[in-house]
Amino acid sequence: MQRIIEEALIAAKKFGASYADVRVVDRAEEEISTKNGSVDGIKSSTSKGLGIRVISDGAWGFSSSFILNEAEASRVAEEAVNIAKASAKTKIEDVTLGEIEIYQDRVEEQIKVDPFSVPINKKISILLDADKLMNVQGIILRRGGMFFSKEWKTFASSEGAYLELERVISSAGITAVATDGKDVQTRNYPASFGGDFQRKGFEFIEEVKLHESAERISQEAVQLLSAKPCPSGKMDIILESSQLALQIHESCGHPTELDRVLGEEASFAGTSFLTPEKLGRFKYGSDIVNIVADATAPFAIGGFAYDDEGVKAKKIYLVKNGEFVGYLNSRETSKKLSLAPMGAMRAEGWNRAPIIRMTSINLEPGDKTFEELVSGIDNGVLMATNKSWSIDQKRLNFQFGTEIGWEIKNGKVQDMVKNPTYSGIAYEFWRSCDGIGNKDYFHIWGVPNCGKGEPMQVMQVSHGASYARFRNIQVGVLQ
Amino acid sequence: MTRDQIETILQKTVSFSEGDQTEAILYGGTSYLTGFANNYIHRNVGENNYSLSVRVAFGKKIGSASVNDFSEGALKDVVKRAVEIARLQRENPNFVSFAKPEASENRDFFNEKTAKVTPDMRAAYVKKILDKSKEKGLNANGTFVIDLMQIGILNSLGVSRFGSLTIASLKSVILGDNSSGYSKEVSTNVDDISVDSIIKESIGITEMGKNPEAVEPGKYEVVLSPYSLAEFINSLMYFSLNARAVEEGTSFLTGNFGKKILGGNITMYDDGLSPETIPMPFDFEGVPKKKVIFFENGVAKDVVYDTMTAYKNGKESTGHSLPQPSAYSPYPMNVIMAGGDLSKDEIISHVEHGLYIHRFWYTNPMDPRRAVITGMTRDGLFLIENGRITKPVKNMRFTESIITALNNCIELSKEKKVIYDDSSITVPYVRIKDFTFTSITEF
Repeated sequence: MQRIIEEALIAAKKFGASYADVRVVDRAEEEISTKNGSVDGIKSSTSKGLGIRVISDGAWGFSSSFILNEAEASRVAEEAVNIAKASAKTKIEDVTLGEIEIYQDRVEEQIKVDPFSVPINKKISILLDADKLMNVQGIILRRGGMFFSKEWKTFASSEGAYLELERVISSAGITAVATDGKDVQTRNYPASFGGDFQRKGFEFIEEVKLHESAERISQEAVQLLSAKPCPSGKMDIILESSQLALQIHESCGHPTELDRVLGEEASFAGTSFLTPEKLGRFKYGSDIVNIVADATAPFAIGGFAYDDEGVKAKKIYLVKNGEFVGYLNSRETSKKLSLAPMGAMRAEGWNRAPIIRMTSINLEPGDKTFEELVSGIDNGVLMATNKSWSIDQKRLNFQFGTEIGWEIKNGKVQDMVKNPTYSGIAYEFWRSCDGIGNKDYFHIWGVPNCGKGEPMQVMQVSHGASYARFRNIQVGVLQ
Repeated sequence: MTRDQIETILQKTVSFSEGDQTEAILYGGTSYLTGFANNYIHRNVGENNYSLSVRVAFGKKIGSASVNDFSEGALKDVVKRAVEIARLQRENPNFVSFAKPEASENRDFFNEKTAKVTPDMRAAYVKKILDKSKEKGLNANGTFVIDLMQIGILNSLGVSRFGSLTIASLKSVILGDNSSGYSKEVSTNVDDISVDSIIKESIGITEMGKNPEAVEPGKYEVVLSPYSLAEFINSLMYFSLNARAVEEGTSFLTGNFGKKILGGNITMYDDGLSPETIPMPFDFEGVPKKKVIFFENGVAKDVVYDTMTAYKNGKESTGHSLPQPSAYSPYPMNVIMAGGDLSKDEIISHVEHGLYIHRFWYTNPMDPRRAVITGMTRDGLFLIENGRITKPVKNMRFTESIITALNNCIELSKEKKVIYDDSSITVPYVRIKDFTFTSITEF
């Protein structure tokens, strides 16, 4: 492998690259899904290849191939350089990169049980046991799923970096869908989008304890069919931590991506309201709101040892005491704003060039118990588990829906309500936050499906949160 | 890879299997994307990748595995993995058989000119947009994509298919100080792409959109462009128009077949071989694409099937399988809506007070059973007064049931456009009354 990487770097230089980096990725995945008491699908997949990113004539080029040999490495390097030279025909200025420390390192994932060593029978049994518990009257669809991945990535650059990095992910989740012929209601555990994901081995599946919540979510889905609709109007809300994770993702994670801010994603994902003149001068949230980008967070799938430019993982503040203070950046974009590279460049695989992605974007815990948050509300709604999400392309106007809610009256959680939704403008929403749950409720959720970029790249990110309370929010759209 | 190489790999793979039934699919190719932002090419990438997927069945037990290494050892290993999974699997009561051979016309959609587009040629196309944008003091963003795709399918029951397809797709998103405009064209033949019409549409919308004013959310009569209507249809493809959604109860078609549930002017179907679509002659099980009518004059008729959902429902597969196993299969890939008799301009001229919506963005279902979705407008929202577009409007959020909207559709245009983003949607401009906007944003 080392010879192929060396050949790629030598060829890139020979054909005219002033900078080159190479990533070789070898990944195995296993996906198991069950549906209504049967195994719906089991898939084992492997994929490997190399991607070469170059700067030539002051512009970027990238090419990639599934063929791993020296001749193909040389061909791909030449193609990447030719692509860069074509890019240069429209350049306005030369690409320059922020300075970074160069590392040679090898990092293995610290897991207890290799998920690929566990027999498929055992995995199926766990899912079908949960499926049985979900089989209550009124449920028409029961789904269960597990996903495991293991990859080795080698990153090398013309600046001398050489990194060998292992990454292991495990996940599990279940879904119950109820209908009465008119309405359909869904509950997921432990969260939407396939459950929860962590950089752990099979031990994570044991921790998720699907069987402990299987019957409960089915009963809740059935109860939702006859629950009263969520009230509409301006009121206080409390978001449970997995819904808060989605709120952080859409209204803080995406708008702090510096490539979006600088217009590089305008053609697809959009731009951002957090424009450079606001950095250090904009009240993003209330004083108690502290949001970090923490790629060092243990077990978080937004975490890693080094990003795909070889920058060592860091923790930085995006929002501190309510002030907007930081961006997710790359070597190129950090240089444009004279910032330090913080290590957020990630590629979905060997066949994609890295772009700025969220790491683990976490709302730091506050000091409140759940009971204290609830007791401060006369009229409001507690909302849990994401169901729908939509936000404008500058990340201002959002409207989110959750699977389930409960009315809060006179400081007490009361009746279940269905189809809860809330909406607002991102910074106004965060400015209305007046209570955050303490560290006992804090959990980092794995979000495996963040889509961005052209060509599209689906990235594993994560978000830590506990409960949080927001005042005077627009609740309800569906009547 | 050549066709011979692909077919040899498939034959070897199937021959290595000891399963009762075996299916091998090899697909991939080369793909290039030239991306531009801030009036220069900022991203320019290429990819050469193929993937071999193998499914092995022992009775009703199925195992599947995939790989992108095609050495003999890797082929034996991927078959071994699929066999092992199948042996450890539980029986799937819904499985009867992989696809059986069916006679169908072999058609190829590979265009040599598209296949020969170089990085320099892509840059030259893009430069025309950049130059015009700079001349107008605007900011050009977008992509030019060239895809060269091949797919080969072989199963032990005698299904044997090979197809190749080229796709050229050019998109322009122009930003002004406080406005934006969008245009995109796609074809199998790069010569069908008109840079001039893309420049005219995207820059024209941006210039018309300068200094937008806010209007109050509420109910408006609207004219949807094909770009915005395609966003609606895309939601239906996922959660309504397939046998999986009907079975799982998320589709509003469940229990409504044979009933008139949309406006009498709505006819919608899937046809993978229509000249109006980006074509695909067969699906990922090798079943030839059949025309499926979803709605005829508003009456719910049918949905698409793959082999598994077809056997389960006593039907024939309609040729709409995704690569298996998939929680999203079956899926319509070539949706077409019948148009009307009027021109786009005539439709706009019939609106006394309403809005023209060039594009929707970030649409997501809130209530699949009622087909309620929410989303934002983007890249062109205009007030129509007395039959004319009079002024630009700040973007708004809509929350609306697609069923309600397609019951409130008053007129459809004769012009249609192919909107392609992995699947193909061909739709006209439409005029819809009482369309619900629920909030506004700041731009």
